[in-house]
Amino acid sequence: MIDVKSLKKEYGERTVLDIDTLEINDGEILAVAGANGSGKTTLLKILAGQIRPTGGELSLPGKKLYMPQQSYAFRGDLIKNVTLGNADREKAVKLLEKLGLSRLADKKAASLSGGELQRLSLCRILARTADLLLLDEPTSACDAKGAELVVEAIKEYRGETRCTVIMTTHSPALAMNAADRLIILNNGKIEADGPPAAVLNEPKTDWAKSFIAGWKI
Amino acid sequence: MDSFRQAFGLLFSLDKELMQIIGVTLRMSFFSTSISCLIGLPLGALIGTKSFKGKSFLKKLIHTLMGLPPVVAGLFVYVLFTHYGPFGSLNLLFTVKVMVIAQVLLITPIVIGLSSSFIESTSKPIIETARGIGLGNGRIVRLCLSEGRASLVSIVLNAFGRSIAEVGAVSIVGGNIQWKTRVMTTAIMLETNKGKFSFALALGIILLLIAFIVNAGASFIVREAKND
Repeated sequence: MIDVKSLKKEYGERTVLDIDTLEINDGEILAVAGANGSGKTTLLKILAGQIRPTGGELSLPGKKLYMPQQSYAFRGDLIKNVTLGNADREKAVKLLEKLGLSRLADKKAASLSGGELQRLSLCRILARTADLLLLDEPTSACDAKGAELVVEAIKEYRGETRCTVIMTTHSPALAMNAADRLIILNNGKIEADGPPAAVLNEPKTDWAKSFIAGWKI
Repeated sequence: MDSFRQAFGLLFSLDKELMQIIGVTLRMSFFSTSISCLIGLPLGALIGTKSFKGKSFLKKLIHTLMGLPPVVAGLFVYVLFTHYGPFGSLNLLFTVKVMVIAQVLLITPIVIGLSSSFIESTSKPIIETARGIGLGNGRIVRLCLSEGRASLVSIVLNAFGRSIAEVGAVSIVGGNIQWKTRVMTTAIMLETNKGKFSFALALGIILLLIAFIVNAGASFIVREAKND
């Protein structure tokens, strides 16, 4: 189980994250939503160990993988990109096929479109094993079909490995289709927490109501 | 035109002294550039990819040293290697080796400064992605260098250009000794002082020709690296 207590991140006088408690069960898929600057990426980066919190306690599983918001195409073809750091080639080929990229496997990664590159980044993550996947807006550059492939791949990976998945998103569709649970951040604090359908259909606070009303499904 | 004729005449006649001067110049520039890059590129990559206390001061120091006047570097090395200096017993003064040392002192900060700035500005997504899949620091530094290799070739070229065109430091520590430590730039200076302008200009044209050939080779490498 992931256990977060009194987690804070401050930049000077500005508090960007302030979470009292957050418990995430093993094997759970958690979607984290919120407006720009609400602390979603900061939370993910702290959990990934990319930045240090100002304060708080964290209990995390051993091996974690983190997919940043900005996808990067390394030199070389798609296979080389996925197997970077000695991931299994056979697995890479299967993942490229699963995410609709097999016809581009021998092309240079730098020639991919934004959505294709994002799916390639996910392949790079899913070609490895971990106890915790941290995905920063994994479908932000994808079209509807691409987003569907991403959701299927994440769910299948979770089914096979029983790992926990935490992903940030601006997409209610992703939260509804992929997540077991949705939290909404507002100025670094958790404003809503629960199953996606309940959070989206029965918002408990006025702020949550107005935020969800602005979210286009 | 006379200088051009003289330059090509000297080259095609394979003038013994000129060939020796070109040989010393290339040997010195090759070693000083190689050593500076071997030290400077990994250090630049480390400074560019890591956050640590005192980084800002270190960067200011490096940027100051990037503008180190060659004569000051030459003087510093001269004091170190003169007979009564701390390294005097090595008897390196007025040899090509000490000219290389002076140039390494001069060029390494340039390589560190340029590579750290370049890596700092381009490496963020590389580091995030590589750390995200659990790669270690050594592998990440190598990845940053490999991903930016086209630009890093330009930095190496910059270092080579500085080395081959440098005159102040090498004339102080090398002494411009005929058949021993005379390089293209110190030879040009000498011929100019002697009033042999057309010969000096001919040497200048040869120096430019060498720089052009090295640049053309490097451009080819950069093009290949970009196509990779």
